[in-house]
Amino acid sequence: MNFYDGFIIPFVVGCAVLFTVVLYKYVRWFVRLPAADKRLVRRNFFSMQTLRGIGEVFSECLLHRRIFRVNPLLGYMHMSLAFGWFLLIVVGWIETIAYLGGRLVPIHGHVFFKYFSTSLPHHPVWGIDFSSVMDALLLFVLSGVLLAWFKRLRSRAMGLRRTTKHTLGDRVALSALWFVFPLRLLAESLTSAIFHNGGFLTGAIGDALAAAMPLRTLSTLESSAWWLYSCALGVFFVSMPFSRYMHIFTEVPLIFLRRWGIRSGEKPKSFDHFQLEACSRCGICIDPCQLQRDAGFNNVQSVYFIRDRRYNMLRPEVADNCLMCGRCEQRCPVGLDLNTLRLNSRSRLHDTPSDRRYDYTAGIDRSSGTGKTGYFAGCMTLLSPKILRAMERIFNASGEEVWWADREGGVCCGRPLKLAGETNAATRMMRYNEELFRRHGITTLVTSCPICLRVFREDYRLEGIEVLHHSEYILRLAKAGRLQIEPGEELFTYHDPCELGRGCGIYEEPRELIRCAGKLVEPAETREEALCCGSSVANTALNDLGQQRIARSVGASLGETGADAIVTACPLCKKAIARGTDRPVYDLAEVVERHLA
Amino acid sequence: MSKKVIIVGGGVAGMQAALSLKGQGIDSVIVEKSDRLGGKLCDWHKLFPTFTPASEVLGPLKEAVERAGVEVRTGAEAERIAPDSVLLKSGERLSADAVVVCSGFDLFDARIKEEYGYGIYDNVYTTADIERMMNEGAVALPGGHAPRRIAFLHCVGSRDEKVGQRHCSRVCCITGVKQAMEMKTLFPQCEVYNFYMDIRMFGPGYEELYRQAQEEYNIHFVRGRISEASPTFDGRLQIKAEDTLVGRPLKMSVDMLVLIIGMRAGESNGRFAQCPGVGCASNGFLAPADLFSGSVLSPVEGVFYAGTVTAPKNVGESMSEGAYAALRVAEYLGARS
Repeated sequence: MNFYDGFIIPFVVGCAVLFTVVLYKYVRWFVRLPAADKRLVRRNFFSMQTLRGIGEVFSECLLHRRIFRVNPLLGYMHMSLAFGWFLLIVVGWIETIAYLGGRLVPIHGHVFFKYFSTSLPHHPVWGIDFSSVMDALLLFVLSGVLLAWFKRLRSRAMGLRRTTKHTLGDRVALSALWFVFPLRLLAESLTSAIFHNGGFLTGAIGDALAAAMPLRTLSTLESSAWWLYSCALGVFFVSMPFSRYMHIFTEVPLIFLRRWGIRSGEKPKSFDHFQLEACSRCGICIDPCQLQRDAGFNNVQSVYFIRDRRYNMLRPEVADNCLMCGRCEQRCPVGLDLNTLRLNSRSRLHDTPSDRRYDYTAGIDRSSGTGKTGYFAGCMTLLSPKILRAMERIFNASGEEVWWADREGGVCCGRPLKLAGETNAATRMMRYNEELFRRHGITTLVTSCPICLRVFREDYRLEGIEVLHHSEYILRLAKAGRLQIEPGEELFTYHDPCELGRGCGIYEEPRELIRCAGKLVEPAETREEALCCGSSVANTALNDLGQQRIARSVGASLGETGADAIVTACPLCKKAIARGTDRPVYDLAEVVERHLA
Repeated sequence: MSKKVIIVGGGVAGMQAALSLKGQGIDSVIVEKSDRLGGKLCDWHKLFPTFTPASEVLGPLKEAVERAGVEVRTGAEAERIAPDSVLLKSGERLSADAVVVCSGFDLFDARIKEEYGYGIYDNVYTTADIERMMNEGAVALPGGHAPRRIAFLHCVGSRDEKVGQRHCSRVCCITGVKQAMEMKTLFPQCEVYNFYMDIRMFGPGYEELYRQAQEEYNIHFVRGRISEASPTFDGRLQIKAEDTLVGRPLKMSVDMLVLIIGMRAGESNGRFAQCPGVGCASNGFLAPADLFSGSVLSPVEGVFYAGTVTAPKNVGESMSEGAYAALRVAEYLGARS
């Protein structure tokens, strides 16, 4: 049997370009990985992580389990395209083996098998009617294509209020992809009309076509249809490594590298390429973004940020305009570290170290008190004296002796600078505070600011010092019987601060404390899905009006619970939400203080 | 049949509007939510820039209103307005041939700027507290002793995006200068500091008073806002600020911190704006038909404005607007009859 015909050329050329470019990219990125990352690969290559990676590739790259969680119809669409196409390829190979045994078949052999196999007897092999199996798989993929068309018209029905605005390259690739499978159906049906070798689908359509037109027309059409099918595949393959469809392959190495322990960091590195090109621009990150919902920004969401960075056209207006609330990261079906990528982009754009700028910190120590428990208020708590006073009373009531790190003013925890991309300056603040904490010999460090908490936990070297958010600390006091909280009748609702909830995974402690003091009612979007207050220090581009719009929307959502008062556990959130609601807004410490026995 | 005008608010603008209408032979009813006429001026002690007692302005005005036989309904709060009626909170609907809205402004709630500690620490006051204490006859610290150092902070709740008050309240700069001088007169040994970002002396005699405060009263003006206040162990307050002319941060202990609070749009403006055609400007004050020849006209025929309901104004300006609104009302009613 001969596997050559003129129409295979577009397909073969497309394949050659695709694999050359993809291989070149992967080798280049891998070679440029830092030595530490390569060590991780060597150490973990032969481990359970690799096996788990294979499982994850199957469930995420083919079945798209995480997208099913966003919306079942959307999940089905992605699964039918990915898994369906994968099965078409695999079963296609099995089909050629079934018919031809071990004979070497060129790469295009199974793709155009229906065309080349007309000389073979058309009957089941190994008891399997391959024509109908392949037809069923084609139907499976076509149902996904139909849904993709439907999504263009009614994205809401598939769980997306807004979809991605695509670039020209993406549109070309997308159009080619849309045509691939209908053209395959047409070409196979036409061949079946002439040679009667189709399955239940292509066979039925072929018979109808054969009845409708003369053989001459059929054979002209057949040749054209195979050409078009091959061209659609060729165009798609050539555009693939340069478009969003690069994600189809890149998610696989990403999953393994991640399993082996490689992460993006505060400075850009080669691993970032795997993350950037694994983004499929599905647009699931757009809907959760409050900058889009409330402040009217349509070009700064993670999907656009990743796209701009990948094509080297990232502007500071896009990189800086992000609350880093983590709501999109929470939903990302590829599990990209969107905040870390955003952060290290900023570091490249802004980090201009000025050696002398923070020299003034040398030798400063304005701390007071003695005690093994240290309290770090942070600048936002110092600007919210009610919280500070509440903490003081709680410490007194529990009989705790406290070392006050910064009540008379101190050095910033460093997180705002880090979030702005000034990582070198941030590091100087961190080292200063670390040294201060050690010098005073504390064993526990309490802070009422989740922004400080997060940087203490993630970036400080504080071996031997336990870092606690005040919610954890106060709850511990209450459980140890050192603090009596009297229950009341007031109905509270709780706002999860981004840095505390999604940032540090603390959801339960504040709620438990609120339930000690009154009743708790949850807002519609809560815990991992909680809204951002809008005043995040991570956003250095949003103006006050935008912040207020978000605050009003958050205030309205919290108000819908019917609660008497709003409680949060972050001084910045407290200030921000107070501007967007007419209900009282308290910090957790204030609520506890009011209910002290 | 005689025409009837309803005046919403019995402050200086409303009273002057009623008097001027009476002068043209038009009857009006003043609807006042509190139990007395006079508005916020009742709580003020002396007026800038002449230190005229507020009672000297308010007394004659009230007497004239009484003499003219203007109907005054106190304890009656307007809920909704329309060109032909005013709906009271009580549910009563008063019909009218024209409505003049003179409902004034609200004082900025200083507790919103939590970092200054108003309502948290004992020694933090607002300019309204100072006037009240002067009316009560004594400005004194909680301990009863005289202050040795006082800091005034300008622009609390004015020109501050963080609290949604972008506008300049105009009259607080001169109020701060006036009160600083009054404090210096009461406590000659006391050091008085005014922290400002701009000093805006727009009225007659204001700039002169500002110079006098510096040259004769030795009041210190520091360009830079206070960032936060915190209590000290000896019951005083420590304030942190930056002297932006020198370019250095500074810390200072004071016995009193006075927050010079701004004017914010009246809380009732939102309700009045539900009348079709009536609308608020972005700062929440009611927007007049135009800022030049129509400054007392609303975009709706039959609804007029006077005083601080449309923007921060001083007493004289508010009274002038009351009189001008009365003139435009008379023209409007004359044209209709």
